[in-house]
Amino acid sequence: MLTEMIQNIPQVLIDGLTLGAVYAVIAIGYTMVYGILELINFAHGEIFMTGAFIGTAMLIVLTGIGWVSSVPTIIMLIVVLLFTAILTGLLGMGIERVAYRPLRNMPRLIPLITAIGVSFLLQDIVRFIAELKKGNYIVTGPSLFNSQLSIKASSISSIFTDATIKQSFVIVLIAAVLMMIGLDFFVNRTKWGMAMRAVAQDRDTAALMTINVNKVISITFFVGSALGGATGVLFAVQYGTIDPYIGFILGLKAFTAAVLGGIGNIRGAMFGGLLLGLLEMFASANLTLLSHGVFGAEYKDVFAFIILILVLLFKPEGLFGKPVTEKV
Amino acid sequence: MKALWQNYRKNKLAQGIFLLLYIGITSLSLYLAQKSVTAFLLLLASLLLLYFTSFKNVTKWLIAGVVLVILLPFTASNGDGYQSYMEVATLVGIYISMALGLNVVVGMAGLLDLGFIAFFAVGAYSYGIFATAQANHFMPFGHYPLSGESFWIFILIGCFVAALFGILLGIPVLRVKGDYLAIVTLGFGEIIRIIFNNLDRPVNITNGAMGLPSVTPPSLFGIDFLYPSQFYYIVLIILVFTIFTVRRFEHSKIGRSWKAVRENEIAAQAMGVPLVKTKLMAFAIGASFSGMMGVVFAAKQAFVDPTSFTLLESITILVMVILGGMGSVPGVILGAAVMTILNLQVLTEITNWLNQLSTSGAISIPDALSPSKMQRMIFGLLLILFALYRPQGLLPAKNRKYDQKLLQKGSKEANGDSLREQSPIENAQEV
Amino acid sequence: MSILEVKNLTKKFGGLVATQDISMTVEKNSITAIIGPNGAGKTTFFNMITGVYQPTSGEILLESEKLNGLKPHIVCRKGIARTFQNIRLFNEMTVLENVMVGMHAHLKAGLFGILFNLPTTRKEELDSEIKAYQLLEYVGLEDFLNEKACNLSYGAQRRLEIARALAAEPKVLLLDEPAAGMNPKETTELTRLIRNMREEFNLTIILIEHDMRLVMEISEQIFVLDHGVKIAEGKPEYIRNNPKVIEAYLGTGAVHAG
Repeated sequence: MLTEMIQNIPQVLIDGLTLGAVYAVIAIGYTMVYGILELINFAHGEIFMTGAFIGTAMLIVLTGIGWVSSVPTIIMLIVVLLFTAILTGLLGMGIERVAYRPLRNMPRLIPLITAIGVSFLLQDIVRFIAELKKGNYIVTGPSLFNSQLSIKASSISSIFTDATIKQSFVIVLIAAVLMMIGLDFFVNRTKWGMAMRAVAQDRDTAALMTINVNKVISITFFVGSALGGATGVLFAVQYGTIDPYIGFILGLKAFTAAVLGGIGNIRGAMFGGLLLGLLEMFASANLTLLSHGVFGAEYKDVFAFIILILVLLFKPEGLFGKPVTEKV
Repeated sequence: MKALWQNYRKNKLAQGIFLLLYIGITSLSLYLAQKSVTAFLLLLASLLLLYFTSFKNVTKWLIAGVVLVILLPFTASNGDGYQSYMEVATLVGIYISMALGLNVVVGMAGLLDLGFIAFFAVGAYSYGIFATAQANHFMPFGHYPLSGESFWIFILIGCFVAALFGILLGIPVLRVKGDYLAIVTLGFGEIIRIIFNNLDRPVNITNGAMGLPSVTPPSLFGIDFLYPSQFYYIVLIILVFTIFTVRRFEHSKIGRSWKAVRENEIAAQAMGVPLVKTKLMAFAIGASFSGMMGVVFAAKQAFVDPTSFTLLESITILVMVILGGMGSVPGVILGAAVMTILNLQVLTEITNWLNQLSTSGAISIPDALSPSKMQRMIFGLLLILFALYRPQGLLPAKNRKYDQKLLQKGSKEANGDSLREQSPIENAQEV
Repeated sequence: MSILEVKNLTKKFGGLVATQDISMTVEKNSITAIIGPNGAGKTTFFNMITGVYQPTSGEILLESEKLNGLKPHIVCRKGIARTFQNIRLFNEMTVLENVMVGMHAHLKAGLFGILFNLPTTRKEELDSEIKAYQLLEYVGLEDFLNEKACNLSYGAQRRLEIARALAAEPKVLLLDEPAAGMNPKETTELTRLIRNMREEFNLTIILIEHDMRLVMEISEQIFVLDHGVKIAEGKPEYIRNNPKVIEAYLGTGAVHAG
């Protein structure tokens, strides 16, 4: 049993890192919004999903145009990523403006409810458009970067079996890492990033220091949603088939990652995402083995939830957060 | 016009005559025009009208009883639409009961539970497993399926099992703070569904995604309950019990402690309200109604499978509560009735109508636009619009009004020199 | 005879020391004031006594019974009720219901009794309504019984908080800045109310207050906290002239200059 588990470690690592990178970037969106508004933006998973659809639609259209085929695929992907990021960023900003801002002084329950509403609304609008255009809401994008690479893990040590990766894996990982580095730079080194951190610390004081709080919140939503949307495109490229309901479970897991890393902590979210991706892949590869066939990969979603619940119960501040005491 | 309205508001006789006329006309039209869904819905709407009359509570209950027990089934029974009307009415009752349960949790105790359907599933499965041959797979003793008479006991079992699940889930979940609760309950709702979906091995308990077919129908004195028109009465009885119970709790020390916890946890605790116990009680009581209705649902459908218990269902019930008014019992009843009818009747009717138009070539509506597929969009919009523009819902929650004269009298009787005279505060202040 | 005894109470939040080694003894039926500049740890001290925070070290004894480690609702049952610095009422509930929540710990009705509306439950409900009404009469809010708590004026909300705390039938009542935001007339009334409450309900009262006139007029004993440490205790006239206290409030050098 142990040898079997060790054998597929390389594959688990690769799959886990890919998935983890996706979780990590989405988790950033949750963590940024929570850090600044203390709101769980339920709709964030749907922004990711919308991004996946916008990106896929663009890729389908672009690959259909004759002269584009002479452009390198990677350039095309970058263009699509940028456009999708801008569109979903604007979408996120719009959602905040319409559905959250008017409710900022209401009981906490109310904005949560609109967040769920927005999430459902987006799911159905995307389903509707996809079904109208393609006749089916399950959409498969053009296959890009499909060549397989084989990693000769067995040459490192004969314990491991060889792992295969799609070329797209490399792209997803690089793009995700670039986004995270970019964001880290933005938050820690730029004027707006500083304003964002200030508002997250203390909104009222920040406002007194002539920071335009509403603008900062809008920017936060723009950046978080842009990252989420772009990740959606990467997801579509990596996994091929998408439907309007992918955002829900994936969003929930990304949220778990954010909590795992300490909500409000951006680097924590990145780490939490990668960790969760690895854990989940490890579980789905080995759960059957470990439980002697009693539980299979179908329980991998349950696994993620259980992590969430355990973290919230025993270490609610996450791995990298500070405990907070409510002021009485 | 305004004067006339004012007059009407004051005049009970006028209200009575109007109500009687309304009920008479709608029930007559339902009786004569059997196919008219409109007549059916208008007859149901008479209860709303009744709610706004200024009759005594007992009178209101009596009239409602007559309409629901006798008039509605009788006038609808004349044609082939009978069972489908009763099916709708039964489902309305089931959803009202669940929405009232969720209202205890969300509306009164202020705990956002997004996995509420899990308790309904627990109820449905507890009857489904034992009222089919399924239980033979893992029960070491006994012979299954159990007879239809056991159904009546299972209503109680469903109630208790769901309450127990409420407590078991609640113990870890309620330690989680504020907003996280929503996401954790959502997670738990999904976990339960996934488990039911996969618990066909190692031991086959739920028969997995295949579901449990041919659930034994309930029976009483040798009569089998097979039709919605029969289930209608079971649902009606449980519903009355639910409303009655919720009302009792609402105006008791428990109801007050729920609201106190909702309004201010720290103050509630400081005033002697045990936080965990109070929240657990809300979870358990809310869940128990769903458990009972789950049993009825399993028997009525004669089939149980995990697809009936998705997140969409949990959100549907949440929409009912928000639409009607969080914390308001009459509001939630209205919200649940409106949403169920919208879901079952209005959307299907519009879809059928559009389909007819398409086939006759008048207009062509793409299949994607079919209203019965747009549930999510409609629910989403309702949630957003109500949260933004009418967070208190259609019939906002009202606080109980106490009779000052009565209390004054009681206060005097309790001690001749009431605390009023002792009060160092001179007299009632401007507020 | 002492009713409340606090020994070496210390609370640390991470590295931050909120209170350090505070000890005090409160006499039964007395009025005691805790004063000190903002951030001195006064509210933290209240929060430890009522079980909201658990002390890092030290002991709290109510009538020689240890309160450390008890949850707030148990502390309330043991006989300590409080009001809050930033008013914490149940805003959407009526004034009368707010007071009735205060009685929660004393109501015996069980699930069964409530469900079947048993005569004993009904009697208990009616009695508690009347008692709540009497308390409203006592604080002069009886005409607003059906009003939502959030619709009351600021001063009235403070009095409602007091009525709610009285409903818990405490032995010790903690008032956290009861006069904050009140006008002089209201403060005078409050002074009378506090004195009267002690007699009427046989209470021991501890209050945190910044209004020095109120404190000096009303209290028999004063404890002064500064930076989490008790710097002085004694009768009002002693505290008034204590150089350490003056220094804490006005800064170093104030004593000599003044």
